Amino acid sequence: MKFLPLVWAGIRRKPVRVALIFLQVCVAFTLFGVLQGMKSGMDRAVSNIPANVLYVGPAVYGQPPLTMADLGRLRSIPGVTAVSFNQGMLTFYQKPTQPVYVLGIEPNDLMRTILPQEFIVRATDLEALRKTRTGILITADTGRKYGWHIGDRIPLTSSTLQRNGAATWTFDIVGMATLKNQDEAIYVFANYSYIDEARALNKGAVGHFYAVAADSKQAAAVSDAIDNAFANSASPTHTESFRESAQEQLQSLGDLNFAIRSILSAVLVALAFSITSMTMQSVRERTQEIAILKTLGYRNRTVLFLIAAETVGICILASLVGLALSWLAFPLAGKLVPGLSMPPVVMASGVLGAVLVALVGVSLPGLRAARLNIVDALAEEP
Amino acid sequence: MAFLRQLGMLLYLNLLGLPQRLGLACTTVIGVTCAVGVLVAMLAMSVGARQAAMGDVRADRASVLSVDAVETDRSDIPRELAARIANLPGLRRNRRGRTIAVPEVEVYVEARRKASGSAVGFPMIGVGADYTDYAPELHLTDGRMFRPGLREIIASNECAHRYRNFNVGNKRLVGGDDWLVVGNFDLGRTAGRCFVYGDADTVLSTFKRNSYNAVDVMLQSPEAFDELVNAIKGNPQLPVRVEHEAELAAAGVQQIEGMLKFVSYFVGAILALAATIGAANSLYALVDRRRRQHATLLAIGFTSAPIIASTLSESILLAIPGSVIGAGLAWLFFDGLSSTVLDFSFHLAVTPGLVAVGIGWALGIGVISGLLPAVRAARIPITVALRTK
Repeated sequence: MKFLPLVWAGIRRKPVRVALIFLQVCVAFTLFGVLQGMKSGMDRAVSNIPANVLYVGPAVYGQPPLTMADLGRLRSIPGVTAVSFNQGMLTFYQKPTQPVYVLGIEPNDLMRTILPQEFIVRATDLEALRKTRTGILITADTGRKYGWHIGDRIPLTSSTLQRNGAATWTFDIVGMATLKNQDEAIYVFANYSYIDEARALNKGAVGHFYAVAADSKQAAAVSDAIDNAFANSASPTHTESFRESAQEQLQSLGDLNFAIRSILSAVLVALAFSITSMTMQSVRERTQEIAILKTLGYRNRTVLFLIAAETVGICILASLVGLALSWLAFPLAGKLVPGLSMPPVVMASGVLGAVLVALVGVSLPGLRAARLNIVDALAEEP
Repeated sequence: MAFLRQLGMLLYLNLLGLPQRLGLACTTVIGVTCAVGVLVAMLAMSVGARQAAMGDVRADRASVLSVDAVETDRSDIPRELAARIANLPGLRRNRRGRTIAVPEVEVYVEARRKASGSAVGFPMIGVGADYTDYAPELHLTDGRMFRPGLREIIASNECAHRYRNFNVGNKRLVGGDDWLVVGNFDLGRTAGRCFVYGDADTVLSTFKRNSYNAVDVMLQSPEAFDELVNAIKGNPQLPVRVEHEAELAAAGVQQIEGMLKFVSYFVGAILALAATIGAANSLYALVDRRRRQHATLLAIGFTSAPIIASTLSESILLAIPGSVIGAGLAWLFFDGLSSTVLDFSFHLAVTPGLVAVGIGWALGIGVISGLLPAVRAARIPITVALRTK
């Protein structure tokens, strides 16, 4: 503690230089924060997805659709505790360039447990959908895009015709929902029962089933059991847990870890070098001061400590500011990469990285200062 | 003239003194090396992705789509319309004297990844049997071409490499029927995705469809494109439009290319900022060392302009080697490296264009980082600087 004024004096000696080093470290750790935050956010998002909710879809595109008749068979498969379903319908609002995807669902309590995997909806909104047959829930994006509000009645045109031959479906907006991860501006949610009853063809067809497995550990076995049960039917299925498909998506982004590691090592190497040369410069300028300190009886160790403390202090502060900046930038970056997060471990690894870079950077000039010969140093012209 | 002479001399003096301040010079060089190296290596991904998509694009190939279609898979060309398209002027003829106009239909099929077994969807393309007239770069490495009227498909080696059951002899379920893989092929320089071709009319009957998506045509020459466009415009019975092969291929890779470019420039800009700050800092230190020298020059009648210019030039000269080294390292370590993003595989490509981008980037770093130190170099109070040691 008693060295604090000395360290502070060393820092104040060249304010511009210190400010620039501070800024450089700050910028480097903003990048560190954004990249690591992205990675940890994705990992966390995947592990947050329950492994026991399975998504049952047709095995091959273009095969006959799954139907409500399959519901019973699905329920009877051992390990399946609950089943729900959806049916998508592509429509457009006013003109074909304004597509709206209507997803028909069952607005019941089970959906409340499944839905958070796809979209977030309040109990009251779901209740409103249950009460109004022709109701839909819209997302804020869709509402903004087309100027829709709760209470509006809107016409959507679809190639799925109604029983009376009409291509125009009229829906009442009864509530809001928030979609996870996807482009929101196209989705709305309706009652499956209304769509199925009103459509002229494909009665009872189902786009996908949602099956809940009793035990997450048995999810893979249950998936296989479902696909086996449907293997020889008119419409074989492909079953995958929500977590599995999220992992798959993450993997398809490519080797993220490798890219992030390479970028960050380049940043840290450049930073360590920059710190070395700047500290070297500052030690050189202070040769006489250091010699005086030593004349006064300061040990080599203490001199080394003083030099190191300056740089380590600056780096820790700057890395904290940089990490805070990247955290502030998350809402902006969130548009591109959902679920950014900065858990304590990222913070800690950032600060630790800063300390390491500072120590590496300071080692050469610090040793030089510590080994300084008093007589030579005092004789030297600054 | 005096300005140039003074500038030249000062720059010579500055550079002469650099070996004594090697550490400071290296800070700039290494900072720029890292910034440019990362930028070039990351941009090499978007360039590689584009090359993979555009590999065999030819100026004398085009596709005829329905007039309102935004993308090929939304386009709709009924059979009888396809027959009329084949009679349009400007099309090249094959050895048997028929015009090269190959109908194409896309259906979505599913495959399983080799490693994880998880499902991926991609288009299987039904084409006319004379497709090789249109795509002579298609080179069978195993098996034979599919035969019209049969449920046979050929798959690119990329498919066989990445997904299960795409080797010759494998059977695949498409549209409820078994299809036999009869050949594997390479597509010249085009890579990226898995390509599967089957007989167009068999695909239509399997999926109970009556129209193709597009007709791929080979032109007599790149200039014949206009002739074809005019013929279509002059015939109101043809609700179609023509697109160059290049445009369709570019549209297909646009999303991935755009994403990669954005990330590259975002990360590159942050690294460049860090490098700029580091370079400015070391230049400040260099300039501080020359206070007395500059004060003396000002005292004997030099103006500040050559001092500013010499410091700026020095900053730029220090940045250039960093960019060359950075681009060189990127080329050494990353050129040709294979990568897969969003199920699109390609080889990273460090091109001369990218090296130029890297050098431009370094010039920017040099100029910006040199500005403030240069002004400071010229703005020293002469008397104070000369008196203090």
